[in-house]
Amino acid sequence: MQTTTKTSRKYLATPIFATAMGVVYLVALSIAGDPVYGVFAFVVMVAFSGALLLARRRSETVKGLLDRRDERISSIDLRATAFSALAIIAVLMVAFVVQIARGQSGWPYSMIGFVGGVSYVAAVIYLRIRG
Amino acid sequence: MSLTTGASPVRNDVRERRVAKGLSQADLAQRLDVSRQTVNSIETDRYTPSLPLAIAIARFFGTCVEEIFHADHN
Repeated sequence: MQTTTKTSRKYLATPIFATAMGVVYLVALSIAGDPVYGVFAFVVMVAFSGALLLARRRSETVKGLLDRRDERISSIDLRATAFSALAIIAVLMVAFVVQIARGQSGWPYSMIGFVGGVSYVAAVIYLRIRG
Repeated sequence: MSLTTGASPVRNDVRERRVAKGLSQADLAQRLDVSRQTVNSIETDRYTPSLPLAIAIARFFGTCVEEIFHADHN
């Protein structure tokens, strides 16, 4: 059974992840010699995290997406994620075909497609075994 | 790929029982630890709850799942 403490912290996972990615962008862009753009990227990610936390207070949907306590919103999240993945796959396939039609290798689209395909099969096998 | 699940094949009496208890959708949502939107979707047969949630709803109203949820066998 979930404790109140665990539940109250769960909604922070996405904002913390977004902020952490902001730090990663800042470091990566600083290494690349563009710290100003790095700071901009960091500020955008922090603002996104803050917007999520503010929206959580006003929107049941955002609240449900963040704390994952509502099974219907979690189901919506899952289907929306699958739809988004289909859109990415479509773009990936088009980009790959355009590249090979130009006489190029198809990299990196081929590798991204390979990772996507393998991870899908692995997930199906894992979930099939797990029942 | 369909983004929606379509109309639920299971009808229910949640709205009638909630109103009989004098509760709002928000009240029931709070008791069940779900959103008000979810209660509304269940009441309007747009969402079929999971078995654990259906059991929680039945327990809340002091009855069994079959007394609240009715499968269409057309």
